[in-house]
Amino acid sequence: MIAVEDLTKIYGNRAALDRVSFEVPEREIFGFVGPNGAGKTTTLRILAALLEPTAGRAFIDGSDVTRDREKVHTRIGYMPDFFGVYDQLTVGEYLDFYAACYRQPKQRRRKIVDDLLALVGMTERKNQQVDSLSRGLKQRVCLARALVHDPAVLLLDEPASGLDPRARVELREILRELQGMGKTIIISSHILPELTELCSMIGIIDHGRMRATGPVHEVIARLSSGRRLHIRVLDEKDAALEILAPLPAIRHVEAVNGTIEAEYDGDERTASDILLALTQAGIRVSSFAPVDGGLEDAFMKATSEEVG
Amino acid sequence: MNVATRALWNPIVAKEYRTRMRTWRSPLAITIYIVLLGGIGWAVFAALTVSATGFGQGPGSLGQMLFTFLILFQVALLAFITPALTAGAISGERERQTLDLLFVTPIAPFSIIWGKLLASMSFIALLLMISVPIFSLVFLFGGIELDQVISAFLVTAVTAMTLGFIGVAFSTVLRRTLAATVASYGAAFVLLAGTLLWGTLFPTEVDASVTTQSAPPAITLISPVIPLLTIATNLPVTGYGVRYKNVNNSGPAILNSSGGGQQYCMASPNGGVMCQSTTSTTPGFFQTNSVTAIPSGLFKGWQYWQANVVMQLMISLAALLFSALMLPPVRRFHLRRRRAPAPQAE
Repeated sequence: MIAVEDLTKIYGNRAALDRVSFEVPEREIFGFVGPNGAGKTTTLRILAALLEPTAGRAFIDGSDVTRDREKVHTRIGYMPDFFGVYDQLTVGEYLDFYAACYRQPKQRRRKIVDDLLALVGMTERKNQQVDSLSRGLKQRVCLARALVHDPAVLLLDEPASGLDPRARVELREILRELQGMGKTIIISSHILPELTELCSMIGIIDHGRMRATGPVHEVIARLSSGRRLHIRVLDEKDAALEILAPLPAIRHVEAVNGTIEAEYDGDERTASDILLALTQAGIRVSSFAPVDGGLEDAFMKATSEEVG
Repeated sequence: MNVATRALWNPIVAKEYRTRMRTWRSPLAITIYIVLLGGIGWAVFAALTVSATGFGQGPGSLGQMLFTFLILFQVALLAFITPALTAGAISGERERQTLDLLFVTPIAPFSIIWGKLLASMSFIALLLMISVPIFSLVFLFGGIELDQVISAFLVTAVTAMTLGFIGVAFSTVLRRTLAATVASYGAAFVLLAGTLLWGTLFPTEVDASVTTQSAPPAITLISPVIPLLTIATNLPVTGYGVRYKNVNNSGPAILNSSGGGQQYCMASPNGGVMCQSTTSTTPGFFQTNSVTAIPSGLFKGWQYWQANVVMQLMISLAALLFSALMLPPVRRFHLRRRRAPAPQAE
């Protein structure tokens, strides 16, 4: 559905994007992660045909974003990292204006606006001035605006930025619903736990280079610094540490706030061997839990060193 | 909806109408406009009727004088209002961060500009329409025909349109509304006064012995002031934009006007040239049969207002095309050669 090939954008002597490539299949939610200035917005603006790449190509549903701009615009819903609202317009008028811009027939626009307001849970705000809405509600209106022409692809630039936890949860639910409706979504964010829960694919970008891309669990597995165990024992913590430290599978072990954190190389069988070693030594284990390194760990690894 | 209708009437126009008329600024601007125009009309009328020496040519001349003051004041007012209306048209969208949102819709950049212009020009048209009752007062005194009013309003409307198009062009190029506004007011000053100044500094040089009349440089006709004066007074302008060489100091030289009658030119005490025709009643103007036709130059034989309208329309068209070329986020042409170095991030 979305294909990016060696996308490069140079401003002056600085490469904002350096041969960025990735693909997003249909109906997937692709999380675009990276620190500020990494190139996320530049990539999304190129995909929205608002910026011309210096080199490389990008396709939305088979249409080249630099050659078939009009076609691309009918296929995408773009939500930038700012609201972009007009004074003096109500929520209903605001959405109706953009629906008219997308050449929706007048008789259909009322239904489109009502349906979208129902989708984002703002039916009762239809006659409220857009400018008077809270940040979270404005964000929902902007999401509705991006959907007025029922696009197949959504490009969302930092949609959760500045939202309170409740608004984030609600936004996440709306995005899940959109995915269920068959939309392909690219969402840029730096709020990693949310992306882990929401996205099926991920791309980590830093300094204009794509450091890692693929299904979330694969990227995490590839970049995590090793498997971890959280172990709780009754009384014999020092003895447990003495047993664990010499084991060949253990890379690092330490006690943190009453819990033993062990990093090891291996699989689930290795973990069971470690547990067996403790119990055979007479250590009474009250809790033994493998811990996933997570996206945060993968992100830190990806953005702190070169990844091949 | 066909392509032409879609280009001329788009959602931006409707949105602009709605948002513009919902603020307090529009009614206030209309009120101030009417009060000022009515005020100047009343002041001129009072001054002319009270002063027996200032004007004593009968009610027809009174109407002509009132019309002259009103139409020039109206142009000056519009020169203040139009840049304020249009200079923020595109830069305002940019500052509100709504321009990108329009670019990702199927609306063409030209339609965005056209929508903005149409909305602004509609407001100007509204101002012109509500000024009609004030202008109709001059018909009470006579001296002004309907065709003069129509011509004067046409010149005024085209002037406002030109200033509007220039304002939008600056708004497209300059990112900030403040900068665009300052540039638009500068352009308005150049259009209205700068071109007249050109005629004073660089007039058409004519030998005094030449027996035909001469017109000021064509560039001075970009300003609506001279065309409006010729429309209101029904007299051509003399003593402006033309410098006579080899003037006979011993006596006046007789110039044959193109429409009959005679014109006398002689050196004035301040070193300039003073011309007077045999039929003239007002110093600085002379009466001929083809009174307001341009006697020489690029627009020879045209009416002053016709030349003005044509030149302003050309400027408007140039400003419109420039705006349409500069607005798109991804242009089809590049002013500078694109650099294509091998990308290497640090």
